[in-house]
Amino acid sequence: MLKVTNAQIVYDNVIEAVRDVSFEVRDSQIVALLGSNGAGKSTVLKAISGVLYPEDGEVQSGAIEFDGHSLLGSAADKIVRSGIVQVPEGRQLFDELTVEENLLMGGYTQPVSVVKQNLEKVYDLFSRVAERRSNIAGYLSGGEQQMVAVGRALMSDPKLLMLDEPSLGLAPQIIEEIFQTIVNLRKERDVSILLVEQNARLALEVSDYAYIMENGRVVMDDEPAKLLENEDVKEFYLGFSDGGTRKNMRDVKHYKRRKRWLS
Amino acid sequence: MEYFLALTTSGIAVGVLYGMLGMAYAVIYKSTGVVNFAQGEVMMLTAYTAYAIASLWDVGFWTLLISVTIIAIFVGLFIEFVFIRPMLGQEVFSIVMVTIGLAVAIRAIVVMIWDADPIPFPSGLPGDTVSVLGVGMYKSQVYSIIVFLALVFIMWVFLRFSRIGIAMRATANLQTTALLMGINVKRVFAIAWGLSAMISAVAGIFIASVQDLMPDMWFNGLKAFPAVIVGGLDSVFGAALGGIIIGLVENYAEGYIGFNLKEIAGFIVILIVLMIRPYGLFGKEEIERV
Ligand SMILES: Nc1ncnc2c1ncn2[C@@H]1O[C@H](COP(=O)(O)OP(=O)(O)OP(=O)(O)O)[C@@H](O)[C@H]1O
Ligand SMILES: [Mg+2]
Repeated sequence: MLKVTNAQIVYDNVIEAVRDVSFEVRDSQIVALLGSNGAGKSTVLKAISGVLYPEDGEVQSGAIEFDGHSLLGSAADKIVRSGIVQVPEGRQLFDELTVEENLLMGGYTQPVSVVKQNLEKVYDLFSRVAERRSNIAGYLSGGEQQMVAVGRALMSDPKLLMLDEPSLGLAPQIIEEIFQTIVNLRKERDVSILLVEQNARLALEVSDYAYIMENGRVVMDDEPAKLLENEDVKEFYLGFSDGGTRKNMRDVKHYKRRKRWLS
Repeated sequence: MEYFLALTTSGIAVGVLYGMLGMAYAVIYKSTGVVNFAQGEVMMLTAYTAYAIASLWDVGFWTLLISVTIIAIFVGLFIEFVFIRPMLGQEVFSIVMVTIGLAVAIRAIVVMIWDADPIPFPSGLPGDTVSVLGVGMYKSQVYSIIVFLALVFIMWVFLRFSRIGIAMRATANLQTTALLMGINVKRVFAIAWGLSAMISAVAGIFIASVQDLMPDMWFNGLKAFPAVIVGGLDSVFGAALGGIIIGLVENYAEGYIGFNLKEIAGFIVILIVLMIRPYGLFGKEEIERV
């Protein structure tokens, strides 16, 4: 259903964030897109959602197709209407709005009657979100925020749900819950999922197929079982041989994020 | 005491007009990040348009008010579409420069069409007075306060409960996320301009009925600016309240101190407020970093 072919993406006309990326998500598949900091994963998702332009980013060459139609040059709202929705990195809730208002905005492209039904569905799915419905979203815990972010995306009745590092900064128990929800969604609602993660082990557990990105390129792709066997993957992404490296990369990431928040 | 009450009622009557203009500024700033320096001119243009309608057809005040506000929405949408939309993606500074250019252009157009002489404005408002709290007030002043309260209430309901209103707040909160939700952000911007022009039109009709139509009535836009700064540029209701504060301060300054202090009182209030809360009384702290 989603097909990215030889995408090259550039910021500010000079910074080549994605050099050459091709991958595919088929109907009702869970596909993982793995890679460490700065590999270009989020950039790819932004390109698919059509929200590169506020950051002066542009797809310079290659193709992005959804159900046979090119998404390049489509407005972001059209892309959502066509059935693709993204849960962005760091959740990006409207932190000044209430939880319910966040969910309502997730259903912005849907008719009012559908919004009402979907709201109930989200509340059924996450009872903790239902309890917090009239709270200001910015005051929720990280786990609750991630549930709101996923629920908000589901409000648009997506065919393809893209999640950008849903495990980021969450306790293992909450991560478990979120991933369980993702797996169930595919099973029960037939939603295809593109899962971007740094947490490779977790992502490989739930996915049907996985791509690994490095420096703006897909360097490996295979079924999760095969990747789990691969020596390089073991060393660099699962941290078998050197646990310390992974930990360091995490630290770098948090530092980078904090800097972005302040600027 | 009676003197104080008189200063207070007339201060509020002026303040609600500043408050309306303040809301008009804030609606645009909140969703687009642009300070529209043509706000006073948009108000003037709609007031002259109201005059054109009133002199063609003999309509009563309420008909005039409603028809002009509807026309004003289209004026706002037109300005956004022709002058602002092509600038999207440019730096905010450049867009602000465009609004300054627009301000000059509107002043010229008004003089071209209607000449520079003052024109009495046939607002259809009653000219007699009523007694409020033992103080005499013009009925037109009472009307302006009622309309102001109605406007604040309508805006509150709109921003709180309507889908578009919530989308406006969402866009102001996080623009990229708004895009990801499928909100047509360009349309949200256009609606902000339309709403802002609508609110200024209401202010324009009342200002014209008090001061006559004059090609320098845009100056009220500048005088209302302290209201937005006091209330916080990104707070629609803060700006409304800020207007009343400025109106009162101006009147007290004039009544108790004199020396034409009225003209600068608002700006003195700004200085004091900004020293204590750099983002205005009701604004969010981020503003200061922009
Ligand atoms: N707005 C931007 N302007 C310029 N360069 C950018 C911008 N956003 C990202 N980049 C650069 O593009 C590259 C890819 O960034 P991207 O955010 O896509 O990586 P990522 O794989 O999502 O990393 P992470 O795991 O840290 O989220 C990085 O080198 C980054 O510095
Ligand atoms: Mg990322």
